[in-house]
Amino acid sequence: MTGRVIVITSGKGGVGKTTTSANIGTALAKEGYKVVLIDTDLGLRNLDLLLGLENRIVYTIVDVIEERCKLKQALVKDKKNPNLSLLAAAQTRDKSAVNAEQLKEICNKLKQKNDFVLVDCPAGIEQGFQNAIAGASEAVVVTTPEMSAIRDADRIIGLLNTKEEITSTRLLLNRVRPNLIKNNEMMSVDDVVGILEIPLVGIIPEDTGIITSTNKGEPIVNDESSLAGQAYRNVAKRILGEEVPFLDLDEPKGLMARIKNVFAKLKAKV
Amino acid sequence: MGLLTDFYNTVAKFFRPQEETGDEASKSVATNRLKLVLMQDRTNLTPKILEQMRGELVDLLSKYLEMDKELLELNFEQEGDQVALMLSIPVIRAKDEEEIEKAIAESNANKVEEDDAEEENESDEESETEEEEITDSDETEKIEDSDNDVNDVSEEEDSEIPAKAKKSSKKEEIPEETIV
Repeated sequence: MTGRVIVITSGKGGVGKTTTSANIGTALAKEGYKVVLIDTDLGLRNLDLLLGLENRIVYTIVDVIEERCKLKQALVKDKKNPNLSLLAAAQTRDKSAVNAEQLKEICNKLKQKNDFVLVDCPAGIEQGFQNAIAGASEAVVVTTPEMSAIRDADRIIGLLNTKEEITSTRLLLNRVRPNLIKNNEMMSVDDVVGILEIPLVGIIPEDTGIITSTNKGEPIVNDESSLAGQAYRNVAKRILGEEVPFLDLDEPKGLMARIKNVFAKLKAKV
Repeated sequence: MGLLTDFYNTVAKFFRPQEETGDEASKSVATNRLKLVLMQDRTNLTPKILEQMRGELVDLLSKYLEMDKELLELNFEQEGDQVALMLSIPVIRAKDEEEIEKAIAESNANKVEEDDAEEENESDEESETEEEEITDSDETEKIEDSDNDVNDVSEEEDSEIPAKAKKSSKKEEIPEETIV
């Protein structure tokens, strides 16, 4: 078996890389695939918290590299889904404890026994980023419809394009607020895709449920009633090759907007 | 009365088309600012250099075409993993042969003047070069040289334009800034 290694990256911090990693990983595992999540944010690990696994971590990726344990020993199984496991980052070390070659080797070993290896990348474009993308053959770039996040995403896309091993780079637009887009106060999905010009893999609406799901250490894809959860499940399906329509959030379609449009047109005629 | 006015304003605001509320602006402002900044990010060209490039392109094309210089648009667009330079100019009309020849002659004359001026500066500053001994028969060659000289001013950036524009994807393995 040779699994797919996908890096989840963004450039800017705080746009939802770790949340995205946890949710796509969980969603793929729910579909029955064997998934390993790797947290490469050395010194600032958080993926364990989002999965609710913080108390189960014994060994980290640095322990594996420095041969204090076997790779298998460091993989922490998810509470609910035995298909999902986590290779945690070391909290007491920094990015220089690992190099790109070592990470690549770990990815290569993991993909022998798993369908998916998802690499949660740290923010920035330095060593940590270079490490995280080293073993990947696909990338998901996470951004939000804000200028700074899009600018950083553009930079990341440029850097990913220089890596021949990465054959697919797709965009995940996070924290989309349909109300703001309707009022033209936020860049729309089309605006962002038009600027970055890479294919979309998902549109995730802003959802306060993310906060409570983080509080509980329970990825939102497990919440069947959540819109963001549904959006993440759709992302997983698209990664699996299914064609799932995107949420349409661009056009003002509400009753109020329609009334406004009618009056705008009438006014224009007068 | 005040109450009525307030009520009227509220109702009027509700029915006003969106473009007038200023909300439209916020999103388009962001999109436009972003496009401009990404154009610079993708090419490493500063606004000053872009303006210079635009000016030189206008000068060059004006020899052959009469066009609306104000509406000339210069953009870098990402196409897959390449950056393309898009130039859009409303052409009023193409010039006829006579006019073109005249324009070329004029610009050559200007260049010779500039070249002379530069040579004077050079000789003031430093060594006497072989260029000072150029004879009439070398005139055409000299003009070509002067081309290079004029461009020398901004050679550092200019010479990088095609390379970066084309190879932006292949180029920056590890960008300079990251090493710091």
